[in-house]
Amino acid sequence: MSNNPAKPIPKVAVESLTGCAGELLVILDNLEKLVPFIRIMSFPFAQSKNEDGPLDIAFVEGSVSQPHDLEKLKRIRAKTRWLVAIGNCAVWGCVQAGSCSRCHADDMMHSVYGDTCKFEVMQAKPLEEFVKVDVRLSGCPINATQFLSVTASLLKDHLPFITHKPVCLECKLRETACVLIEKNLPCLGPVTAAGCGALCPRVGAACYGCWGPCQEPQMEAMATILQEKGYELDDVLSRLQTFGAPKELFTRMASEKN
Amino acid sequence: MSEIERTEIEIPEISRVEGHSAVTVDVENGKVVDVKLEVFEGTRFFERIVLGHKYDEMPHITSRICAICSTGHVLAAIKAVENIFQFSPSETEKLFRELMHLGMIIESHATHICALALPDFVGAADLSDLAGKHENEFAIWTRLRDLGASIQTVVGGRPFHPVNLHAGGLSRYPSRKELRPLLVKLERGTEDAAHLITLLKSFNLPTETELAPCFLALIPEGDSYGYFGKTIKASDGWQAPVEEYTTYLSESSVEYSHSKRSLLGTKPFMVGSMARLFFFSEKLGKTAKDIFDKSPLAQKNKRVSSLWNNFAQAIEIVEAIERATVIIEILLTSTIAGSENTDFKNKLKAGRGVGAVECPRGTLYHSYTLDESGNITAADMITPSAQNSAHIELDIRKAAELELKKAPDHLRSTLETLVRAYDPCNTCATHMVSVRQLK
Repeated sequence: MSNNPAKPIPKVAVESLTGCAGELLVILDNLEKLVPFIRIMSFPFAQSKNEDGPLDIAFVEGSVSQPHDLEKLKRIRAKTRWLVAIGNCAVWGCVQAGSCSRCHADDMMHSVYGDTCKFEVMQAKPLEEFVKVDVRLSGCPINATQFLSVTASLLKDHLPFITHKPVCLECKLRETACVLIEKNLPCLGPVTAAGCGALCPRVGAACYGCWGPCQEPQMEAMATILQEKGYELDDVLSRLQTFGAPKELFTRMASEKN
Repeated sequence: MSEIERTEIEIPEISRVEGHSAVTVDVENGKVVDVKLEVFEGTRFFERIVLGHKYDEMPHITSRICAICSTGHVLAAIKAVENIFQFSPSETEKLFRELMHLGMIIESHATHICALALPDFVGAADLSDLAGKHENEFAIWTRLRDLGASIQTVVGGRPFHPVNLHAGGLSRYPSRKELRPLLVKLERGTEDAAHLITLLKSFNLPTETELAPCFLALIPEGDSYGYFGKTIKASDGWQAPVEEYTTYLSESSVEYSHSKRSLLGTKPFMVGSMARLFFFSEKLGKTAKDIFDKSPLAQKNKRVSSLWNNFAQAIEIVEAIERATVIIEILLTSTIAGSENTDFKNKLKAGRGVGAVECPRGTLYHSYTLDESGNITAADMITPSAQNSAHIELDIRKAAELELKKAPDHLRSTLETLVRAYDPCNTCATHMVSVRQLK
């Protein structure tokens, strides 16, 4: 996006590792807004003629869940200027990583196949466990407006600002009644990153944490409140960890539990 | 002894489908000897992920199996849980759920037909090319997609991974004011869908494999062409309650693919739009029925190529628009009141329940077992793409045999078009199984 005709048009790729393709759909649905300003080198979900070569921006969705994902991620990192992790899977590892806090990938394998089987499986992890990530844009799925503003920033050569304030902030701005206080629902808004527009509380349901943790989430305070509301600690922990919140946030709780 | 001439036709990654898959065809002395559809999507073990979680988390977690059919996963999960609770939703609730589901059918089918399949038929390289050279078709896609997304946003809170649908009922009931604008979009959608039908009719198919698959589909609960039911019907003449799916589907894994595959005993079979239309065309509304009756799909004793699945999906878009209009008109004239779901929690029981729905690509089963506290102790999900995969391989084999004289590039693109017609959803198919590499 440049007024200088001599400047080459930015090259962009949209790639996926292991996920539900939600981010690809959001990008596909907003493609016409981007097409005038970028050249899409590779987007296997939407096009057949995909080229290799240096990139300005690589959007990558999905977690690293198998060696094949890792090889692909390293190839992408090596050829792109900006690497943008899009969606909860790429930023936190989503439900496939959330479950690993309660059971190990190898156990899952063996529970399915028995002990005689040998194949390659990895504990699902987010991108930054393996490579440098320039921008982390969470969401499940990502918010289209956030995605477009991130892209616009990068096309202007500067890193975008993405808020990691809790969902409660968006709830208050919308003047939605608090479902945690007024309906005693197990709402995770206080510890979840905003960006969705507080969708769940808006329809009178509990936020279930799909954006991943907010800045400095007060997990223990959250757990205490939910226990006061009558929820069992095991239930609270399983809800808090479902969408990939890292184990480190729960160390004290885990040690108290044992 | 003469030299055996071996060639391998390989498509390392099928593009313009949901997820990651590859095809290899081995040819010896001019004969196809082996065909493999390899799904190499990473595994996520959903059946294992959900263990220990509460029943009310099932819709949120399982919708992440796949974005484009997330509404189907949510509704299958809800139905499985409600069956354990022996809970029947109100008529209003059922209408909202059906409307939500139709939104998904419209959005998913339109995306598949226009954005993924259409470039093959109009000579466009891909979607960007389509946007530039075929503005009209591109605009049809954006409008139909927006229609499906708007319906799901009004009922479910967002275009996919809905937040408003729960076991026991919606957490908030959309108002008349929110429903009314959908009627305007549906009216426009009627024109767009008609245009899509005309367009698809005019295409020459790149190959005519003629298969007579065994079809499977849920018998619709109501009088209209629908996607919810409790009984499965098969084209070789039997029916069974969905709770018994383990008796008629044998799921197994193959060592070269991350997708499990289901067989009917030992036979490949087909689920999805073609199967549903094969059984239930009589239930279609007038517009869709007329289109169906004039198409090769109506000639039940004539075999038709799976490539007609694109057309079958377009007929379902026409039908979904007509039915969604009827539902909204009913909702606008009735009192919108939900199920009495405030005491849903108190109906908690231990036990097993199965929920099945017809998703865009075919029948989806969710099965859960709950303990007394409402925790999941066992779970199983069988996706449409896993059910179709054995049949896709059969189809690739037939097409490869028919088209073997084509130049390799040409053959590859024909096979890709064929796989794409099934609209395979590899993220769905790979929900738990990984490749076995026996060393």
